[in-house]
Amino acid sequence: MDRWLLIASTLLAFIGGAWGILSVHRGHRSRWTTAWMLGVLLCQFGFLALRGEQRAACPLGDRGEILAFLSWSLTLFYLIIGPAYRISLLGVFTAPVVVIFQSIALIPGMLSPNPQPLAGANPWHETHAATSVLAYGALALAAVAGVMFMVLDKQLKSHHLTSGLFRNLPPVRELLVSLKRLLWTGGVLLTTGVIAGIFMPHDASAIGHWIAAWVVWACYALLLGVMTFRGLTGRRLSIATVALFFLSLAVFAFI
Amino acid sequence: MELLCIGLNHKTAPVEIRECFAVGNHRLGEAAREIHTLAAVSEAVVISTCNRTEFYLAADSSTEAVAALESHLAGKTVSAGVASAHFYRFEKHHAARHLCRVVSGLDSMMLGETEIFGQVKQSYQAALDAGSTALVLNRLFQRAFAIGKKVRTETSIQEGATSVGNVAVDLAGKIFGHLGKSEVMILGAGEMSRITAQSLVSRGARSIFVTNRSFERAEQLAAEMNGMAVRFDDWQEVLERVDIVIASTGAPHAIVHREHVEQVRRARKFRPLFFIDIAVPRDIDPAVGEIEEVYLYDIDTLEQIASAARVKRQRQIEECERIIERELAKQALPGT
Repeated sequence: MDRWLLIASTLLAFIGGAWGILSVHRGHRSRWTTAWMLGVLLCQFGFLALRGEQRAACPLGDRGEILAFLSWSLTLFYLIIGPAYRISLLGVFTAPVVVIFQSIALIPGMLSPNPQPLAGANPWHETHAATSVLAYGALALAAVAGVMFMVLDKQLKSHHLTSGLFRNLPPVRELLVSLKRLLWTGGVLLTTGVIAGIFMPHDASAIGHWIAAWVVWACYALLLGVMTFRGLTGRRLSIATVALFFLSLAVFAFI
Repeated sequence: MELLCIGLNHKTAPVEIRECFAVGNHRLGEAAREIHTLAAVSEAVVISTCNRTEFYLAADSSTEAVAALESHLAGKTVSAGVASAHFYRFEKHHAARHLCRVVSGLDSMMLGETEIFGQVKQSYQAALDAGSTALVLNRLFQRAFAIGKKVRTETSIQEGATSVGNVAVDLAGKIFGHLGKSEVMILGAGEMSRITAQSLVSRGARSIFVTNRSFERAEQLAAEMNGMAVRFDDWQEVLERVDIVIASTGAPHAIVHREHVEQVRRARKFRPLFFIDIAVPRDIDPAVGEIEEVYLYDIDTLEQIASAARVKRQRQIEECERIIERELAKQALPGT
């Protein structure tokens, strides 16, 4: 059942993304993107609830669950942040990322067919895992906003202003404001996760994960510092956000 | 009862003729009432804009109504002979179709312009208030407004800016969103920069700085726009805070060079900066556009964009006409 919910959620994200892209191609913004993404979120809730019940803990017991949780946080942030900042087109860009993550999660071997309750669940560990993955959702969305900025920036710089995408992309300043807010949200959540990680019990085998996590945290802290105190051009900020997000995924290799 | 439209516009009459028949906004109702009192006319609406004056009438006999109107107008303006040479006349279904075309912006000098919709509404409201309309014209105008809205929403007849000034303003919106937080600097107090800056102000631009070689002229324009005049030697200091620069000096060489912008980048925290160069020769060195956060548009680029939008609107005409015909065919209007 849980697997079917994840499949349904992936299909909804695919339809929503394709619908949105086609609308943008025709020159108007799809009013249904938010509705599709709401459907995606509900299915993700169902999947995570079932897995959480089986695990008797936050469902982050295997890579498939981590990817599903990450997709859920992406969708959640889009629904909270997208419409609020009038950048609902973010959904059109978010949906493909959700489809990719959840499709990988559905590859045989990624999701445990019989999830067992997590032994020795610890509140610090749960907080660390949940806030870290939520942080990744915000940072992934920041990367999506970064891609949107780069597309718009290229079109404005090269004076190619006739595409449907150009007409529907939010203004440069709004994109940058959203990107910065998402980076701050991700940064605060990541810091919470890292602090929780200090207090959770861990053994010597986790050293690679710890080093990777601290490096990622330090890189984001540096980016936020430079962005706040020195300032960065929109293009450099976007490139750094996208590159750092992909780099940060390396942390999962050590889990 | 027959529906009738008599009028002249920018295509049929030069401005010296059009101005003879122009009716001020405050007199539209009164003018409609005067025509309504003519024995041969049952209902009347007068539309008058800078490019057209049109009389929509409902009458038992269109021939008698035309004769009455011509004699009424001849008494007020130029000779009837001059008037009839420039006037066009549409009857019944053709009059209804013409009004729909006017409301949709298809008959405007600037194809698809939106202002005409409001102007026709105002004219109709004035006639309604003056009591010069009844069943025929009320139904006609209400239907025309509905069709005009449909044409504008279902086609791209009003999409894209078709003048250099509007393109610049649209681009500013695409870069900064709402312009309430944007500051503008005008480099060179020429007419074009004044018009463009005014458009930006009408879209909410927060403050305007005007700099010019003649400080007196800068002060004049600044006062006119509620802005602040800046001495020409000090424009670089203002560059640090503004978001949009409109350049149109008469200088024979570039005024703004890459190093000028490079010097203020740190202080600006690398915020986006939009340069609108409408001067010939250009005021802004093209190398400025290579700076990452700078968006530079010169007069040729702006004109190309405006021209492309005009061509796109032209391509929409057939579709608009189809919608008008389809909608008019749905329901027979009285007098057609």
